[in-house]
Amino acid sequence: MPDDMSRADAAYSAYDRTTSRWGRITMLMVLVIALAAPLYLVFFSGLQLAFGELLTAFLAVAAVFGLIWVIEPLTYYPVLGPAAMYQAFMIGNIANKLVPSAIVAQQAIDAKPGTRRAELAAVMAICGAALVHLVSLLVLVGLLGTWLVSALPDSVVEVARLYIFPAIIGAVVVQLVSYAKQPRITVIALATAAVVQLGLVPVLGEQFGNFATAVVVFGTVALAWVLRDRRAERGTATSVSASADQPPQQ
Amino acid sequence: MGSLAAYTNSAFLWICALAAFAVIALQTVIYMRAARTAGPDLGFTPQDWKRSLRSGAIAAIGPSLAVAVVAVALLALFGTPAVLVRIGLVGSAATETASADLAAGTMGAELGGASWSPEVFATALFAMSLSGGMWLVTTLILTPLLKRGDTRLRRTNPTLMAIVPSAALLGAFASLSISELPNGTVNVLIVAVSALVMAGCLLLARWLGLAWLREWALGISIIIGLVAAYFAHFSAIGPA
Repeated sequence: MPDDMSRADAAYSAYDRTTSRWGRITMLMVLVIALAAPLYLVFFSGLQLAFGELLTAFLAVAAVFGLIWVIEPLTYYPVLGPAAMYQAFMIGNIANKLVPSAIVAQQAIDAKPGTRRAELAAVMAICGAALVHLVSLLVLVGLLGTWLVSALPDSVVEVARLYIFPAIIGAVVVQLVSYAKQPRITVIALATAAVVQLGLVPVLGEQFGNFATAVVVFGTVALAWVLRDRRAERGTATSVSASADQPPQQ
Repeated sequence: MGSLAAYTNSAFLWICALAAFAVIALQTVIYMRAARTAGPDLGFTPQDWKRSLRSGAIAAIGPSLAVAVVAVALLALFGTPAVLVRIGLVGSAATETASADLAAGTMGAELGGASWSPEVFATALFAMSLSGGMWLVTTLILTPLLKRGDTRLRRTNPTLMAIVPSAALLGAFASLSISELPNGTVNVLIVAVSALVMAGCLLLARWLGLAWLREWALGISIIIGLVAAYFAHFSAIGPA
Protein backbone atom coordinates (compact mmCIF):
# COMPACT_ATOMS: atom_id res chain seq x y z
CA MET A 1 0.00 0.00 0.00
CA PRO A 2 2.78 2.59 0.55
CA ASP A 3 2.76 3.36 -3.15
CA ASP A 4 -0.98 4.02 -3.11
CA MET A 5 -0.62 6.27 -0.11
CA SER A 6 2.06 8.45 -1.64
CA ARG A 7 0.07 8.66 -4.87
CA ALA A 8 -2.98 9.84 -2.93
CA ASP A 9 -0.92 12.34 -0.98
CA ALA A 10 0.74 13.64 -4.14
CA ALA A 11 -2.62 13.96 -5.90
CA TYR A 12 -4.10 15.78 -2.91
CA SER A 13 -1.24 18.21 -2.56
CA ALA A 14 -1.38 19.04 -6.29
CA TYR A 15 -5.12 19.64 -5.93
CA ASP A 16 -4.54 21.71 -2.81
CA ARG A 17 -1.90 23.84 -4.54
CA THR A 18 -4.10 24.55 -7.57
CA THR A 19 -7.24 25.37 -5.58
CA SER A 20 -5.41 27.54 -3.03
CA ARG A 21 -3.45 29.50 -5.61
CA TRP A 22 -6.35 30.04 -8.02
CA GLY A 23 -8.82 30.48 -5.18
CA ARG A 24 -6.76 33.40 -3.93
CA ILE A 25 -6.12 34.88 -7.39
CA THR A 26 -9.79 34.80 -8.42
CA MET A 27 -10.88 36.17 -5.05
CA LEU A 28 -8.48 39.13 -5.40
CA MET A 29 -9.79 39.76 -8.94
CA VAL A 30 -13.37 39.85 -7.66
CA LEU A 31 -12.35 42.14 -4.81
CA VAL A 32 -10.90 44.64 -7.30
CA ILE A 33 -13.97 44.43 -9.56
CA ALA A 34 -16.42 44.83 -6.68
CA LEU A 35 -14.62 47.96 -5.48
CA ALA A 36 -14.19 49.38 -8.99
CA ALA A 37 -17.96 49.88 -9.41
CA PRO A 38 -18.47 52.35 -6.54
CA LEU A 39 -15.04 53.98 -7.04
CA TYR A 40 -16.07 54.79 -10.61
CA LEU A 41 -19.22 56.49 -9.31
CA VAL A 42 -17.20 58.35 -6.68
CA PHE A 43 -14.44 59.64 -8.96
CA PHE A 44 -15.60 59.63 -12.57
CA SER A 45 -19.36 60.04 -12.72
CA GLY A 46 -19.46 63.75 -11.98
CA LEU A 47 -21.29 63.27 -8.67
CA GLN A 48 -20.13 65.54 -5.86
CA LEU A 49 -19.37 63.19 -2.96
CA ALA A 50 -17.59 64.23 0.21
CA PHE A 51 -14.89 61.90 1.51
CA GLY A 52 -16.15 62.42 5.06
CA GLU A 53 -19.65 61.26 4.13
CA LEU A 54 -18.35 58.13 2.40
CA LEU A 55 -16.25 57.28 5.44
CA THR A 56 -19.16 57.85 7.84
CA ALA A 57 -21.43 55.64 5.76
CA PHE A 58 -18.85 52.86 5.66
CA LEU A 59 -18.22 53.10 9.42
CA ALA A 60 -21.96 52.82 10.10
CA VAL A 61 -22.04 49.58 8.11
CA ALA A 62 -18.76 48.36 9.62
CA ALA A 63 -20.11 48.87 13.15
CA VAL A 64 -22.88 46.38 12.42
CA PHE A 65 -21.04 43.84 10.28
CA GLY A 66 -17.41 44.22 11.42
CA LEU A 67 -17.55 41.30 13.83
CA ILE A 68 -19.29 39.11 11.26
CA TRP A 69 -16.51 39.67 8.68
CA VAL A 70 -14.18 37.83 11.05
CA ILE A 71 -16.60 35.37 12.65
CA GLU A 72 -18.10 33.91 9.47
CA PRO A 73 -14.83 32.62 7.99
CA LEU A 74 -13.94 31.14 11.40
CA THR A 75 -17.37 29.49 11.67
CA TYR A 76 -17.42 27.97 8.20
CA TYR A 77 -13.80 26.84 7.88
CA PRO A 78 -14.35 23.54 9.73
CA VAL A 79 -17.49 22.98 7.63
CA LEU A 80 -16.05 23.84 4.21
CA GLY A 81 -12.33 23.10 4.25
CA PRO A 82 -9.71 25.36 2.64
CA ALA A 83 -10.50 25.03 -1.09
CA ALA A 84 -14.23 25.66 -0.73
CA MET A 85 -13.61 28.73 1.46
CA TYR A 86 -12.49 30.68 -1.61
CA GLN A 87 -15.61 29.58 -3.50
CA ALA A 88 -18.07 30.14 -0.68
CA PHE A 89 -17.00 33.61 0.36
CA MET A 90 -16.93 34.81 -3.22
CA ILE A 91 -20.44 33.62 -4.02
CA GLY A 92 -22.10 34.11 -0.64
CA ASN A 93 -25.42 32.46 0.23
CA ILE A 94 -23.36 29.95 2.20
CA ALA A 95 -25.94 28.69 4.69
CA ASN A 96 -28.94 28.82 2.37
CA LYS A 97 -27.42 27.47 -0.83
CA LEU A 98 -23.83 26.24 -0.89
CA VAL A 99 -23.57 24.11 2.25
CA PRO A 100 -26.98 22.48 1.61
CA SER A 101 -25.78 21.58 -1.92
CA ALA A 102 -22.59 20.10 -0.49
CA ILE A 103 -24.56 17.94 1.96
CA VAL A 104 -26.85 16.66 -0.80
CA ALA A 105 -23.86 15.67 -2.95
CA GLN A 106 -21.96 14.04 -0.09
CA GLN A 107 -25.05 12.00 0.69
CA ALA A 108 -25.58 11.18 -3.00
CA ILE A 109 -22.14 9.58 -3.35
CA ASP A 110 -22.21 8.28 0.22
CA ALA A 111 -18.97 9.98 1.31
CA LYS A 112 -18.12 9.90 5.01
CA PRO A 113 -17.91 13.36 6.66
CA GLY A 114 -14.34 14.55 7.16
CA THR A 115 -12.77 12.44 4.40
CA ARG A 116 -11.01 13.75 1.30
CA ARG A 117 -13.76 12.17 -0.77
CA ALA A 118 -16.33 14.24 1.11
CA GLU A 119 -14.17 17.34 0.62
CA LEU A 120 -14.05 16.82 -3.16
CA ALA A 121 -17.80 16.11 -3.26
CA ALA A 122 -18.42 19.42 -1.47
CA VAL A 123 -16.19 21.35 -3.86
CA MET A 124 -17.88 19.81 -6.90
CA ALA A 125 -21.33 20.43 -5.45
CA ILE A 126 -20.42 24.07 -4.89
CA CYS A 127 -19.20 24.23 -8.51
CA GLY A 128 -22.63 22.97 -9.61
CA ALA A 129 -24.37 25.40 -7.28
CA ALA A 130 -22.18 28.25 -8.55
CA LEU A 131 -23.20 27.55 -12.15
CA VAL A 132 -26.89 27.50 -11.23
CA HIS A 133 -26.36 30.67 -9.17
CA LEU A 134 -24.78 32.52 -12.12
CA VAL A 135 -27.30 31.34 -14.70
CA SER A 136 -30.33 32.03 -12.49
CA LEU A 137 -29.16 35.56 -11.69
CA LEU A 138 -28.18 36.36 -15.27
CA VAL A 139 -31.45 35.09 -16.72
CA LEU A 140 -34.00 35.92 -14.03
CA VAL A 141 -32.49 39.16 -12.77
CA GLY A 142 -30.27 40.36 -15.63
CA LEU A 143 -32.48 39.56 -18.60
CA LEU A 144 -36.01 39.13 -17.26
CA GLY A 145 -35.74 41.23 -14.09
CA THR A 146 -37.53 44.32 -15.30
CA TRP A 147 -40.36 42.23 -16.72
CA LEU A 148 -40.58 40.10 -13.55
CA VAL A 149 -40.92 43.23 -11.41
CA SER A 150 -44.22 43.93 -13.12
CA ALA A 151 -45.32 40.28 -13.37
CA LEU A 152 -44.71 39.05 -9.82
CA PRO A 153 -47.44 40.02 -7.35
CA ASP A 154 -46.09 41.95 -4.36
CA SER A 155 -47.49 39.31 -2.01
CA VAL A 156 -45.31 36.58 -3.58
CA VAL A 157 -42.17 38.71 -3.37
CA GLU A 158 -42.95 39.59 0.23
CA VAL A 159 -43.47 35.96 1.27
CA ALA A 160 -40.27 34.89 -0.49
CA ARG A 161 -38.34 37.69 1.22
CA LEU A 162 -39.72 36.97 4.69
CA TYR A 163 -39.71 33.18 4.71
CA ILE A 164 -37.02 31.98 2.31
CA PHE A 165 -34.67 31.11 5.13
CA PRO A 166 -37.01 29.09 7.40
CA ALA A 167 -38.26 27.24 4.29
CA ILE A 168 -34.69 26.15 3.52
CA ILE A 169 -33.31 25.56 7.00
CA GLY A 170 -35.90 23.03 8.24
CA ALA A 171 -35.24 20.73 5.28
CA VAL A 172 -31.46 21.15 5.48
CA VAL A 173 -31.33 20.14 9.15
CA VAL A 174 -33.26 16.92 8.42
CA GLN A 175 -31.06 16.11 5.43
CA LEU A 176 -27.92 16.82 7.45
CA VAL A 177 -29.01 14.59 10.35
CA SER A 178 -29.78 11.76 7.93
CA TYR A 179 -26.43 12.24 6.17
CA ALA A 180 -24.19 12.58 9.22
CA LYS A 181 -25.67 9.55 11.05
CA GLN A 182 -24.34 10.88 14.35
CA PRO A 183 -27.24 10.72 16.84
CA ARG A 184 -25.02 11.59 19.79
CA ILE A 185 -23.56 14.73 18.15
CA THR A 186 -27.01 15.68 16.79
CA VAL A 187 -28.46 15.76 20.31
CA ILE A 188 -25.44 17.73 21.58
CA ALA A 189 -25.79 20.25 18.71
CA LEU A 190 -29.53 20.77 19.24
CA ALA A 191 -29.12 21.12 23.01
CA THR A 192 -26.23 23.59 22.64
CA ALA A 193 -28.16 25.60 20.05
CA ALA A 194 -31.28 25.70 22.24
CA VAL A 195 -29.31 26.90 25.28
CA VAL A 196 -27.41 29.58 23.32
CA GLN A 197 -30.18 30.81 20.98
CA LEU A 198 -33.18 30.57 23.29
CA GLY A 199 -31.41 31.01 26.65
CA LEU A 200 -28.40 33.31 26.18
CA VAL A 201 -29.33 35.47 23.17
CA PRO A 202 -32.49 37.01 24.74
CA VAL A 203 -30.49 37.83 27.90
CA LEU A 204 -27.22 39.04 26.34
CA GLY A 205 -28.82 40.92 23.45
CA GLU A 206 -28.23 41.82 19.80
CA GLN A 207 -24.43 42.12 19.87
CA PHE A 208 -24.10 38.60 21.26
CA GLY A 209 -26.65 37.39 18.70
CA ASN A 210 -24.16 38.27 15.95
CA PHE A 211 -21.78 35.56 17.01
CA ALA A 212 -24.21 33.14 18.65
CA THR A 213 -23.84 30.63 15.79
CA ALA A 214 -20.06 30.69 16.14
CA VAL A 215 -20.47 29.99 19.88
CA VAL A 216 -22.77 27.06 19.06
CA VAL A 217 -20.32 25.65 16.50
CA PHE A 218 -17.34 25.76 18.84
CA GLY A 219 -19.45 24.64 21.81
CA THR A 220 -20.77 21.65 19.87
CA VAL A 221 -17.28 20.67 18.70
CA ALA A 222 -15.92 20.90 22.25
CA LEU A 223 -18.82 18.97 23.81
CA ALA A 224 -18.83 16.35 21.04
CA TRP A 225 -15.15 15.76 21.84
CA VAL A 226 -15.59 15.64 25.63
CA LEU A 227 -18.72 13.46 25.44
CA ARG A 228 -17.53 11.18 22.62
CA ASP A 229 -18.29 7.47 22.81
CA ARG A 230 -15.17 6.22 24.61
CA ARG A 231 -16.20 2.57 24.36
CA ALA A 232 -15.58 2.82 20.64
CA GLU A 233 -12.32 4.62 21.31
CA ARG A 234 -10.10 1.52 21.35
CA GLY A 235 -11.22 0.67 17.86
CA THR A 236 -11.23 4.26 16.61
CA ALA A 237 -7.70 4.49 15.28
CA THR A 238 -8.53 1.76 12.78
CA SER A 239 -12.16 2.66 12.15
CA VAL A 240 -11.36 6.29 11.36
CA SER A 241 -8.57 5.89 8.88
CA ALA A 242 -9.50 2.50 7.42
CA SER A 243 -13.09 3.49 6.75
CA ALA A 244 -12.70 2.25 3.19
CA ASP A 245 -13.62 5.73 2.16
CA GLN A 246 -10.07 6.86 1.71
CA PRO A 247 -6.68 5.23 2.04
CA PRO A 248 -4.98 5.64 5.43
CA GLN A 249 -3.18 8.94 5.63
CA GLN A 250 -0.23 8.14 7.86
CA MET B 1 -35.98 58.95 -10.93
CA GLY B 2 -34.77 59.67 -14.46
CA SER B 3 -31.38 60.97 -13.45
CA LEU B 4 -30.96 58.23 -10.84
CA ALA B 5 -31.43 55.53 -13.49
CA ALA B 6 -28.58 57.06 -15.50
CA TYR B 7 -26.26 56.20 -12.62
CA THR B 8 -27.77 52.87 -11.51
CA ASN B 9 -27.66 51.63 -15.12
CA SER B 10 -24.31 53.08 -16.14
CA ALA B 11 -22.30 51.03 -18.61
CA PHE B 12 -19.35 50.77 -16.23
CA LEU B 13 -21.50 49.08 -13.57
CA TRP B 14 -22.71 46.58 -16.17
CA ILE B 15 -19.10 45.80 -17.12
CA CYS B 16 -18.22 45.21 -13.45
CA ALA B 17 -21.20 42.91 -12.96
CA LEU B 18 -20.38 40.79 -16.00
CA ALA B 19 -16.66 40.71 -15.14
CA ALA B 20 -17.41 39.49 -11.61
CA PHE B 21 -19.58 36.70 -13.03
CA ALA B 22 -16.86 35.77 -15.50
CA VAL B 23 -14.32 35.43 -12.67
CA ILE B 24 -16.68 33.16 -10.68
CA ALA B 25 -17.13 31.04 -13.81
CA LEU B 26 -13.34 30.90 -14.29
CA GLN B 27 -12.81 29.79 -10.69
CA THR B 28 -15.49 27.13 -11.07
CA VAL B 29 -13.85 25.70 -14.19
CA ILE B 30 -10.41 25.62 -12.51
CA TYR B 31 -11.81 23.84 -9.46
CA MET B 32 -13.72 21.34 -11.59
CA ARG B 33 -10.55 20.45 -13.47
CA ALA B 34 -8.48 20.19 -10.26
CA ALA B 35 -11.03 17.80 -8.73
CA ARG B 36 -11.19 15.73 -11.92
CA THR B 37 -7.39 15.37 -12.03
CA ALA B 38 -6.87 14.52 -8.36
CA GLY B 39 -10.10 12.56 -7.85
CA PRO B 40 -9.20 9.05 -9.05
CA ASP B 41 -6.17 8.84 -6.73
CA LEU B 42 -8.33 9.89 -3.77
CA GLY B 43 -11.15 7.38 -4.28
CA PHE B 44 -13.27 10.03 -5.99
CA THR B 45 -14.20 8.40 -9.31
CA PRO B 46 -15.32 10.23 -12.48
CA GLN B 47 -18.86 9.02 -11.67
CA ASP B 48 -18.59 10.60 -8.20
CA TRP B 49 -17.35 13.79 -9.89
CA LYS B 50 -20.34 13.94 -12.21
CA ARG B 51 -22.81 12.90 -9.53
CA SER B 52 -21.56 15.55 -7.07
CA LEU B 53 -21.69 18.29 -9.68
CA ARG B 54 -25.22 17.32 -10.71
CA SER B 55 -26.57 16.89 -7.16
CA GLY B 56 -25.07 20.21 -6.10
CA ALA B 57 -26.60 21.96 -9.11
CA ILE B 58 -30.05 20.43 -8.59
CA ALA B 59 -30.01 21.16 -4.86
CA ALA B 60 -29.17 24.80 -5.64
CA ILE B 61 -32.18 25.34 -7.95
CA GLY B 62 -34.72 25.91 -5.17
CA PRO B 63 -32.57 28.34 -3.15
CA SER B 64 -31.47 30.11 -6.38
CA LEU B 65 -35.05 30.73 -7.51
CA ALA B 66 -35.93 32.11 -4.10
CA VAL B 67 -32.85 34.36 -4.08
CA ALA B 68 -33.67 35.59 -7.60
CA VAL B 69 -37.22 36.53 -6.56
CA VAL B 70 -35.83 38.55 -3.66
CA ALA B 71 -33.18 40.13 -5.91
CA VAL B 72 -35.89 41.20 -8.37
CA ALA B 73 -37.56 43.06 -5.51
CA LEU B 74 -34.40 45.15 -5.07
CA LEU B 75 -34.13 46.20 -8.74
CA ALA B 76 -36.18 49.37 -8.36
CA LEU B 77 -33.84 50.52 -5.62
CA PHE B 78 -30.37 49.66 -6.92
CA GLY B 79 -30.78 48.98 -10.65
CA THR B 80 -29.83 45.73 -12.38
CA PRO B 81 -25.99 45.83 -12.43
CA ALA B 82 -25.62 46.80 -8.75
CA VAL B 83 -28.07 44.05 -7.71
CA LEU B 84 -26.11 41.52 -9.78
CA VAL B 85 -22.79 42.55 -8.22
CA ARG B 86 -24.05 42.73 -4.65
CA ILE B 87 -26.31 39.63 -4.64
CA GLY B 88 -24.11 37.68 -7.07
CA LEU B 89 -21.09 38.18 -4.84
CA VAL B 90 -20.80 37.57 -1.14
CA GLY B 91 -23.81 39.59 -0.02
CA SER B 92 -27.33 38.35 0.59
CA ALA B 93 -30.46 40.42 0.07
CA ALA B 94 -30.75 40.90 3.81
CA THR B 95 -27.19 42.13 4.50
CA GLU B 96 -27.13 44.37 1.44
CA THR B 97 -30.46 46.03 2.16
CA ALA B 98 -29.44 46.55 5.78
CA SER B 99 -26.07 48.02 4.69
CA ALA B 100 -27.68 50.36 2.17
CA ASP B 101 -30.22 51.48 4.75
CA LEU B 102 -27.49 52.18 7.33
CA ALA B 103 -25.39 54.09 4.79
CA ALA B 104 -28.34 56.15 3.57
CA GLY B 105 -29.25 56.88 7.18
CA THR B 106 -25.89 58.59 7.78
CA MET B 107 -26.86 61.10 5.05
CA GLY B 108 -30.30 61.63 6.54
CA ALA B 109 -31.86 59.77 3.60
CA GLU B 110 -34.09 56.73 3.24
CA LEU B 111 -34.09 53.80 0.85
CA GLY B 112 -36.36 54.46 -2.10
CA GLY B 113 -38.00 57.69 -0.93
CA ALA B 114 -37.61 61.20 -2.41
CA SER B 115 -34.28 61.51 -0.59
CA TRP B 116 -32.84 58.50 -2.52
CA SER B 117 -30.68 60.61 -4.86
CA PRO B 118 -27.76 59.57 -7.10
CA GLU B 119 -25.38 60.83 -4.38
CA VAL B 120 -27.04 58.70 -1.71
CA PHE B 121 -27.09 55.70 -4.05
CA ALA B 122 -23.37 56.07 -4.81
CA THR B 123 -22.53 56.44 -1.11
CA ALA B 124 -24.64 53.41 -0.20
CA LEU B 125 -23.06 51.32 -2.98
CA PHE B 126 -19.61 52.42 -1.79
CA ALA B 127 -20.35 51.34 1.80
CA MET B 128 -21.95 48.04 0.72
CA SER B 129 -19.09 47.16 -1.61
CA LEU B 130 -16.38 48.00 0.89
CA SER B 131 -18.17 46.02 3.59
CA GLY B 132 -18.71 43.07 1.21
CA GLY B 133 -15.03 43.31 0.25
CA MET B 134 -14.04 42.94 3.90
CA TRP B 135 -15.49 39.40 3.91
CA LEU B 136 -13.11 38.57 1.06
CA VAL B 137 -10.20 40.20 2.88
CA THR B 138 -10.81 38.26 6.10
CA THR B 139 -11.22 35.03 4.12
CA LEU B 140 -7.95 35.67 2.28
CA ILE B 141 -6.14 36.30 5.57
CA LEU B 142 -7.76 33.65 7.77
CA THR B 143 -7.94 30.63 5.42
CA PRO B 144 -4.15 30.03 5.19
CA LEU B 145 -3.81 30.52 8.97
CA LEU B 146 -6.64 28.09 9.75
CA LYS B 147 -5.23 25.60 7.26
CA ARG B 148 -1.90 25.50 9.07
CA GLY B 149 -3.62 24.75 12.39
CA ASP B 150 -5.90 22.21 10.76
CA THR B 151 -3.05 20.29 9.14
CA ARG B 152 -1.21 20.13 12.46
CA LEU B 153 -4.34 18.86 14.25
CA ARG B 154 -4.95 16.18 11.64
CA ARG B 155 -1.47 14.86 12.19
CA THR B 156 -1.50 14.93 15.99
CA ASN B 157 -5.11 13.99 16.68
CA PRO B 158 -6.98 12.08 13.96
CA THR B 159 -9.82 11.16 16.37
CA LEU B 160 -10.56 14.85 16.94
CA MET B 161 -10.54 15.54 13.20
CA ALA B 162 -13.08 12.75 12.71
CA ILE B 163 -15.46 14.57 15.06
CA VAL B 164 -14.90 18.22 14.07
CA PRO B 165 -16.54 18.38 10.60
CA SER B 166 -19.78 16.64 11.64
CA ALA B 167 -19.99 18.55 14.90
CA ALA B 168 -19.32 21.90 13.20
CA LEU B 169 -21.96 21.25 10.51
CA LEU B 170 -24.59 19.99 12.95
CA GLY B 171 -23.83 22.87 15.34
CA ALA B 172 -24.08 25.53 12.62
CA PHE B 173 -27.41 24.29 11.26
CA ALA B 174 -28.93 23.50 14.65
CA SER B 175 -28.12 27.09 15.63
CA LEU B 176 -29.47 28.65 12.42
CA SER B 177 -32.73 26.69 12.62
CA ILE B 178 -33.37 27.26 16.33
CA SER B 179 -32.66 31.00 15.93
CA GLU B 180 -35.60 31.10 13.47
CA LEU B 181 -38.08 29.92 16.09
CA PRO B 182 -38.42 33.14 18.15
CA ASN B 183 -39.19 35.08 14.91
CA GLY B 184 -42.90 34.21 14.97
CA THR B 185 -45.53 31.50 14.72
CA VAL B 186 -45.35 31.43 10.93
CA ASN B 187 -41.57 30.88 11.06
CA VAL B 188 -41.99 27.94 13.45
CA LEU B 189 -44.64 26.48 11.16
CA ILE B 190 -42.47 26.89 8.03
CA VAL B 191 -39.41 25.28 9.64
CA ALA B 192 -41.63 22.35 10.67
CA VAL B 193 -43.31 22.00 7.25
CA SER B 194 -39.99 22.16 5.42
CA ALA B 195 -38.44 19.60 7.82
CA LEU B 196 -41.41 17.21 7.50
CA VAL B 197 -41.46 17.39 3.69
CA MET B 198 -37.74 16.61 3.61
CA ALA B 199 -38.21 13.68 6.03
CA GLY B 200 -41.05 12.36 3.83
CA CYS B 201 -38.96 12.68 0.65
CA LEU B 202 -35.96 10.92 2.21
CA LEU B 203 -38.12 8.06 3.53
CA LEU B 204 -39.85 7.65 0.16
CA ALA B 205 -36.47 7.76 -1.59
CA ARG B 206 -35.19 4.98 0.67
CA TRP B 207 -38.30 2.76 0.47
CA LEU B 208 -38.75 3.05 -3.27
CA GLY B 209 -35.05 3.35 -4.13
CA LEU B 210 -35.49 6.72 -5.85
CA ALA B 211 -32.06 8.37 -5.96
CA TRP B 212 -33.35 11.39 -7.90
CA LEU B 213 -35.85 12.21 -5.14
CA ARG B 214 -32.98 12.73 -2.69
CA GLU B 215 -31.50 15.37 -5.02
CA TRP B 216 -34.79 17.17 -5.65
CA ALA B 217 -35.96 16.90 -2.02
CA LEU B 218 -34.51 20.29 -1.04
CA GLY B 219 -36.27 22.12 -3.89
CA ILE B 220 -39.57 20.37 -3.15
CA SER B 221 -39.31 21.20 0.57
CA ILE B 222 -38.58 24.87 -0.14
CA ILE B 223 -41.51 25.25 -2.53
CA ILE B 224 -44.02 23.51 -0.25
CA GLY B 225 -42.59 25.50 2.67
CA LEU B 226 -43.10 28.79 0.82
CA VAL B 227 -46.62 27.84 -0.29
CA ALA B 228 -47.46 27.07 3.34
CA ALA B 229 -45.86 30.40 4.28
CA TYR B 230 -48.04 32.21 1.75
CA PHE B 231 -51.27 30.86 3.24
CA ALA B 232 -50.10 31.21 6.85
CA HIS B 233 -48.82 34.76 6.33
CA PHE B 234 -52.11 36.00 4.89
CA SER B 235 -54.25 34.13 7.42
CA ALA B 236 -55.08 34.77 11.04
CA ILE B 237 -51.71 33.61 12.44
CA GLY B 238 -49.64 35.86 10.18
CA PRO B 239 -48.43 39.26 11.31
CA ALA B 240 -51.28 41.74 10.73
